Amino acid sequence: MENTSVSKHTISFGLSAALASVVNALLVVAKEKNQAVLAGMQKIAGHQWVAHSAIILILFGFFGWLFARANGGQGLKMTVNRLIGTIMAGVVTGGLIIIGFYLIGD
Amino acid sequence: MTELILMAHVLFGVACMITTVWIFVDVLHASETNQARIRRMSWAAAVFMWLAFCIAGYWYVVFYKVDKAIILKGPWAFAHSFFMETKEHLVIMLLVLVTYLPIATSNNLVANKDARRVALWVAGLIALLALMMEGEGAIIAMGVKVALLAK
Repeated sequence: MENTSVSKHTISFGLSAALASVVNALLVVAKEKNQAVLAGMQKIAGHQWVAHSAIILILFGFFGWLFARANGGQGLKMTVNRLIGTIMAGVVTGGLIIIGFYLIGD
Repeated sequence: MTELILMAHVLFGVACMITTVWIFVDVLHASETNQARIRRMSWAAAVFMWLAFCIAGYWYVVFYKVDKAIILKGPWAFAHSFFMETKEHLVIMLLVLVTYLPIATSNNLVANKDARRVALWVAGLIALLALMMEGEGAIIAMGVKVALLAK
């Protein structure tokens, strides 16, 4: 019989990737619409894009680690269909927010 | 020298894309004989993308302002205002996904159909996003070219 479960890190970092994609897009809108956010990011790393990249990568690592520690260290539980759907939804939503913002919002 | 930096980032970006397509095909035919290769190639894709990202990031922060000024004065100002602006942020999503790929392929792909499905979706997304980045990069380069030709 074929095994159908995936590791807790596959689920936790997959969810984290979806979350990071959406936060990435929201951070674009926040920094482009709010000069204080942009100036703050510039101050953190010397260049707003470097700060932006670092924030998203740290969020990805942190939430992946956090989700893996949920349920007493067993990690978050969900079906693979739901995991794939969440990753797709996160990436597509993040992508559409960024494209839509520079197409019509900026 | 700046052109070499620019071309190196394209080279590693293309290497990541080709490697990911390779992984996609290998996962479709996952077996005991190619599972170790899939995992090695997943790490290779991540390393290629991190190299492309760091090299491009250095070029973007240090040198891009000259190209940006040229593009904005030319007939293809959208090469910066839309394509560069979206590329510099979409590529962060690509980096996150390609960093996740070695985790997705660390499961037993031979015995586990669900693990193969996750790996296929992630590899497919990476390949499409990488192709999109290459296209946007080409438009940005063309933005500089048409601006210089218009002078």
